[in-house]
Amino acid sequence: MKLTHLAGFVAASSFAVLAAAQGAGPSDPQIAGIVVAANQVDIDAGKLAKSHSKNKEVQDFAQRMITDHTAVNKQAGALVKKLKVKPEESDTSKSLKAGGKDNLAKLKGLKGSAFDKAYAEHEVAYHQQVLDAIDKVLIPSAKNAELKGLIEKVRPAFAAHLDHAKMVVADLNKGGKK
Amino acid sequence: MGATAAQAAGTTHKVTIEGMKFVPERLEVAAGDTIVWTNKDVFPHTVTANAAKVDSGDIGPNKSWKFVAKKKGEMPYICRLHPVMHGSVVVK
Repeated sequence: MKLTHLAGFVAASSFAVLAAAQGAGPSDPQIAGIVVAANQVDIDAGKLAKSHSKNKEVQDFAQRMITDHTAVNKQAGALVKKLKVKPEESDTSKSLKAGGKDNLAKLKGLKGSAFDKAYAEHEVAYHQQVLDAIDKVLIPSAKNAELKGLIEKVRPAFAAHLDHAKMVVADLNKGGKK
Repeated sequence: MGATAAQAAGTTHKVTIEGMKFVPERLEVAAGDTIVWTNKDVFPHTVTANAAKVDSGDIGPNKSWKFVAKKKGEMPYICRLHPVMHGSVVVK
Protein backbone atom coordinates (compact mmCIF):
# COMPACT_ATOMS: atom_id res chain seq x y z
CA MET A 1 0.00 0.00 0.00
CA LYS A 2 1.10 3.49 -0.85
CA LEU A 3 0.45 4.83 2.63
CA THR A 4 2.68 2.18 4.19
CA HIS A 5 5.53 3.08 1.87
CA LEU A 6 5.08 6.75 2.58
CA ALA A 7 4.92 6.15 6.33
CA GLY A 8 8.13 4.16 6.11
CA PHE A 9 9.81 6.83 4.10
CA VAL A 10 8.76 9.59 6.44
CA ALA A 11 9.58 7.53 9.53
CA ALA A 12 13.10 7.13 8.18
CA SER A 13 13.50 10.82 7.44
CA SER A 14 11.90 11.67 10.77
CA PHE A 15 14.49 9.50 12.47
CA ALA A 16 17.21 11.36 10.61
CA VAL A 17 15.79 14.68 11.78
CA LEU A 18 15.61 13.51 15.37
CA ALA A 19 19.06 11.94 15.31
CA ALA A 20 20.54 15.07 13.81
CA ALA A 21 18.83 17.26 16.39
CA GLN A 22 19.77 15.08 19.34
CA GLY A 23 23.36 14.66 18.23
CA ALA A 24 23.83 18.38 17.81
CA GLY A 25 21.87 19.33 20.96
CA PRO A 26 20.43 22.40 19.24
CA SER A 27 21.16 25.82 20.67
CA ASP A 28 18.40 28.41 21.02
CA PRO A 29 19.33 30.13 17.72
CA GLN A 30 19.22 26.71 16.03
CA ILE A 31 15.87 25.94 17.65
CA ALA A 32 14.53 29.23 16.33
CA GLY A 33 15.80 28.24 12.89
CA ILE A 34 14.07 24.84 13.16
CA VAL A 35 10.75 26.43 14.19
CA VAL A 36 10.85 28.87 11.27
CA ALA A 37 11.83 26.12 8.79
CA ALA A 38 9.14 23.74 10.07
CA ASN A 39 6.44 26.36 9.55
CA GLN A 40 7.76 27.57 6.20
CA VAL A 41 7.92 24.04 4.74
CA ASP A 42 4.25 23.52 5.55
CA ILE A 43 3.26 26.96 4.21
CA ASP A 44 4.96 26.13 0.90
CA ALA A 45 3.22 22.75 0.65
CA GLY A 46 -0.09 24.46 1.48
CA LYS A 47 0.38 27.03 -1.27
CA LEU A 48 1.03 24.30 -3.83
CA ALA A 49 -2.01 22.30 -2.66
CA LYS A 50 -4.26 25.33 -2.71
CA SER A 51 -3.45 26.06 -6.34
CA HIS A 52 -3.27 22.42 -7.52
CA SER A 53 -6.17 20.72 -5.77
CA LYS A 54 -9.75 20.78 -7.00
CA ASN A 55 -11.07 19.26 -3.79
CA LYS A 56 -12.65 21.82 -1.45
CA GLU A 57 -11.71 19.99 1.73
CA VAL A 58 -8.08 19.78 0.62
CA GLN A 59 -8.09 23.43 -0.43
CA ASP A 60 -9.59 24.50 2.90
CA PHE A 61 -7.06 22.44 4.81
CA ALA A 62 -4.21 23.90 2.73
CA GLN A 63 -5.47 27.44 3.40
CA ARG A 64 -5.61 26.64 7.12
CA MET A 65 -1.99 25.48 7.06
CA ILE A 66 -0.96 28.70 5.29
CA THR A 67 -2.88 30.93 7.73
CA ASP A 68 -1.92 29.13 10.94
CA HIS A 69 1.74 28.50 10.20
CA THR A 70 2.18 32.06 8.92
CA ALA A 71 0.74 33.35 12.20
CA VAL A 72 3.05 31.09 14.22
CA ASN A 73 6.07 32.24 12.24
CA LYS A 74 5.07 35.86 12.73
CA GLN A 75 4.93 35.26 16.47
CA ALA A 76 8.25 33.42 16.41
CA GLY A 77 9.76 36.29 14.42
CA ALA A 78 8.57 38.83 16.97
CA LEU A 79 9.98 36.76 19.84
CA VAL A 80 13.44 36.21 18.33
CA LYS A 81 13.61 39.92 17.58
CA LYS A 82 12.74 40.73 21.17
CA LEU A 83 15.24 38.18 22.51
CA LYS A 84 17.85 39.32 19.98
CA VAL A 85 18.30 35.72 18.85
CA LYS A 86 19.28 35.24 15.23
CA PRO A 87 17.82 31.99 13.83
CA GLU A 88 20.63 29.68 12.73
CA GLU A 89 20.72 26.81 10.29
CA SER A 90 21.39 23.33 11.64
CA ASP A 91 21.30 19.80 10.25
CA THR A 92 17.69 19.60 11.44
CA SER A 93 16.54 22.79 9.72
CA LYS A 94 18.39 21.74 6.56
CA SER A 95 16.84 18.29 6.71
CA LEU A 96 13.36 19.78 7.10
CA LYS A 97 13.88 22.10 4.14
CA ALA A 98 15.32 19.30 1.96
CA GLY A 99 12.36 17.05 2.88
CA GLY A 100 9.97 19.87 2.02
CA LYS A 101 11.63 20.38 -1.35
CA ASP A 102 11.46 16.66 -2.15
CA ASN A 103 7.79 16.62 -1.20
CA LEU A 104 6.99 19.58 -3.48
CA ALA A 105 8.86 17.96 -6.37
CA LYS A 106 6.95 14.71 -5.87
CA LEU A 107 3.59 16.47 -5.56
CA LYS A 108 4.15 18.52 -8.70
CA GLY A 109 4.21 15.29 -10.70
CA LEU A 110 0.76 14.26 -9.46
CA LYS A 111 -2.77 15.26 -10.43
CA GLY A 112 -6.34 14.99 -9.16
CA SER A 113 -7.05 12.53 -6.38
CA ALA A 114 -3.49 11.14 -6.49
CA PHE A 115 -2.23 14.63 -5.67
CA ASP A 116 -4.83 15.13 -2.92
CA LYS A 117 -4.00 11.83 -1.23
CA ALA A 118 -0.25 12.29 -1.47
CA TYR A 119 -0.50 15.82 -0.06
CA ALA A 120 -2.83 14.86 2.79
CA GLU A 121 -0.87 11.71 3.71
CA HIS A 122 2.34 13.68 3.76
CA GLU A 123 0.67 16.30 5.99
CA VAL A 124 -0.15 13.54 8.49
CA ALA A 125 3.41 12.24 8.47
CA TYR A 126 4.93 15.71 8.52
CA HIS A 127 2.95 16.98 11.49
CA GLN A 128 3.75 13.77 13.37
CA GLN A 129 7.43 14.29 12.58
CA VAL A 130 7.39 17.90 13.78
CA LEU A 131 5.44 16.95 16.93
CA ASP A 132 8.07 14.31 17.72
CA ALA A 133 10.82 16.87 17.25
CA ILE A 134 8.94 19.35 19.49
CA ASP A 135 8.53 16.79 22.29
CA LYS A 136 11.87 15.00 22.09
CA VAL A 137 14.23 17.75 21.00
CA LEU A 138 12.94 21.31 20.90
CA ILE A 139 11.16 21.63 24.26
CA PRO A 140 13.83 19.67 26.21
CA SER A 141 16.68 21.63 24.56
CA ALA A 142 15.31 25.17 24.66
CA LYS A 143 17.15 27.22 27.26
CA ASN A 144 15.34 30.52 27.08
CA ALA A 145 12.03 30.29 28.96
CA GLU A 146 10.14 32.46 26.48
CA LEU A 147 11.37 30.42 23.52
CA LYS A 148 10.36 27.22 25.32
CA GLY A 149 7.02 28.83 26.15
CA LEU A 150 6.39 29.72 22.52
CA ILE A 151 7.03 26.14 21.39
CA GLU A 152 4.75 24.81 24.14
CA LYS A 153 2.10 27.30 23.08
CA VAL A 154 2.17 26.32 19.41
CA ARG A 155 2.35 22.57 20.07
CA PRO A 156 -1.47 22.14 20.24
CA ALA A 157 -1.75 23.67 16.76
CA PHE A 158 0.54 21.00 15.32
CA ALA A 159 -1.42 18.31 17.19
CA ALA A 160 -4.77 19.63 15.91
CA HIS A 161 -3.39 19.90 12.38
CA LEU A 162 -2.27 16.27 12.64
CA ASP A 163 -5.79 15.13 13.59
CA HIS A 164 -7.30 17.40 10.93
CA ALA A 165 -4.96 15.93 8.28
CA LYS A 166 -6.02 12.41 9.36
CA MET A 167 -9.66 13.46 8.88
CA VAL A 168 -8.90 14.69 5.37
CA VAL A 169 -7.12 11.42 4.51
CA ALA A 170 -10.06 9.40 5.86
CA ASP A 171 -12.54 11.47 3.81
CA LEU A 172 -10.42 11.11 0.66
CA ASN A 173 -10.30 7.34 1.19
CA LYS A 174 -14.09 7.26 1.54
CA GLY A 175 -14.40 8.89 -1.84
CA GLY A 176 -14.24 12.33 -0.38
CA LYS A 177 -16.42 15.25 0.47
CA LYS A 178 -16.41 17.55 -2.50
CA MET B 1 -19.33 34.05 39.64
CA GLY B 2 -20.76 31.07 41.40
CA ALA B 3 -23.10 28.34 40.34
CA THR B 4 -26.08 30.31 41.63
CA ALA B 5 -25.31 33.28 39.43
CA ALA B 6 -25.03 30.95 36.44
CA GLN B 7 -28.61 29.86 36.97
CA ALA B 8 -30.03 33.37 36.64
CA ALA B 9 -31.16 34.28 33.12
CA GLY B 10 -29.29 37.18 31.59
CA THR B 11 -25.93 36.10 32.95
CA THR B 12 -22.85 36.43 30.77
CA HIS B 13 -20.59 33.39 30.45
CA LYS B 14 -17.08 33.36 29.07
CA VAL B 15 -15.45 30.73 26.91
CA THR B 16 -11.77 31.09 26.07
CA ILE B 17 -10.42 29.65 22.85
CA GLU B 18 -6.79 28.83 23.50
CA GLY B 19 -4.36 26.12 22.50
CA MET B 20 -6.88 24.76 19.96
CA LYS B 21 -9.46 24.17 22.70
CA PHE B 22 -12.70 25.69 23.90
CA VAL B 23 -12.37 26.28 27.64
CA PRO B 24 -14.66 25.19 29.18
CA GLU B 25 -15.46 22.64 26.54
CA ARG B 26 -18.97 22.12 27.91
CA LEU B 27 -20.95 25.01 29.29
CA GLU B 28 -24.34 24.96 30.98
CA VAL B 29 -26.39 28.12 30.75
CA ALA B 30 -29.94 29.27 31.26
CA ALA B 31 -32.10 30.32 28.32
CA GLY B 32 -31.51 34.02 27.69
CA ASP B 33 -27.91 33.95 28.93
CA THR B 34 -25.13 35.50 26.90
CA ILE B 35 -21.97 33.61 26.00
CA VAL B 36 -18.82 35.41 24.93
CA TRP B 37 -16.10 33.44 23.17
CA THR B 38 -12.65 35.09 23.17
CA ASN B 39 -9.89 33.83 20.90
CA LYS B 40 -6.48 33.78 22.62
CA ASP B 41 -4.72 31.92 19.81
CA VAL B 42 -2.65 33.68 17.15
CA PHE B 43 -4.89 32.55 14.28
CA PRO B 44 -8.66 32.72 13.66
CA HIS B 45 -11.27 30.27 14.97
CA THR B 46 -15.03 29.98 14.65
CA VAL B 47 -17.94 28.80 16.75
CA THR B 48 -20.07 26.78 14.37
CA ALA B 49 -23.12 24.70 15.23
CA ASN B 50 -24.33 23.30 11.92
CA ALA B 51 -27.52 21.69 13.24
CA ALA B 52 -28.56 24.91 15.00
CA LYS B 53 -27.43 27.00 11.98
CA VAL B 54 -25.18 29.09 14.20
CA ASP B 55 -21.90 30.44 12.84
CA SER B 56 -19.76 33.15 14.36
CA GLY B 57 -17.75 33.81 11.23
CA ASP B 58 -14.00 34.12 11.73
CA ILE B 59 -13.02 35.27 15.22
CA GLY B 60 -9.55 36.77 14.87
CA PRO B 61 -6.80 36.71 17.51
CA ASN B 62 -7.86 38.58 20.67
CA LYS B 63 -11.34 39.10 19.25
CA SER B 64 -14.61 38.02 20.81
CA TRP B 65 -17.99 36.86 19.62
CA LYS B 66 -21.20 37.15 21.59
CA PHE B 67 -24.20 34.85 21.37
CA VAL B 68 -27.47 34.80 23.29
CA ALA B 69 -28.59 31.23 23.96
CA LYS B 70 -32.34 30.93 23.56
CA LYS B 71 -33.24 27.45 22.44
CA LYS B 72 -33.22 24.85 25.22
CA GLY B 73 -31.22 21.69 24.78
CA GLU B 74 -27.68 20.81 23.82
CA MET B 75 -25.91 22.69 21.06
CA PRO B 76 -22.70 20.91 20.06
CA TYR B 77 -20.35 23.09 18.06
CA ILE B 78 -16.98 22.94 16.32
CA CYS B 79 -14.44 25.35 14.92
CA ARG B 80 -15.23 25.31 11.19
CA LEU B 81 -11.58 26.09 10.42
CA HIS B 82 -10.25 23.36 12.72
CA PRO B 83 -12.97 20.70 12.76
CA VAL B 84 -11.13 18.65 15.37
CA MET B 85 -12.04 21.30 17.97
CA HIS B 86 -15.30 20.56 19.76
CA GLY B 87 -17.42 22.33 22.31
CA SER B 88 -20.94 22.23 23.61
CA VAL B 89 -23.46 24.60 25.13
CA VAL B 90 -26.29 23.13 27.17
CA VAL B 91 -29.23 25.50 27.55
CA LYS B 92 -31.36 24.58 30.55
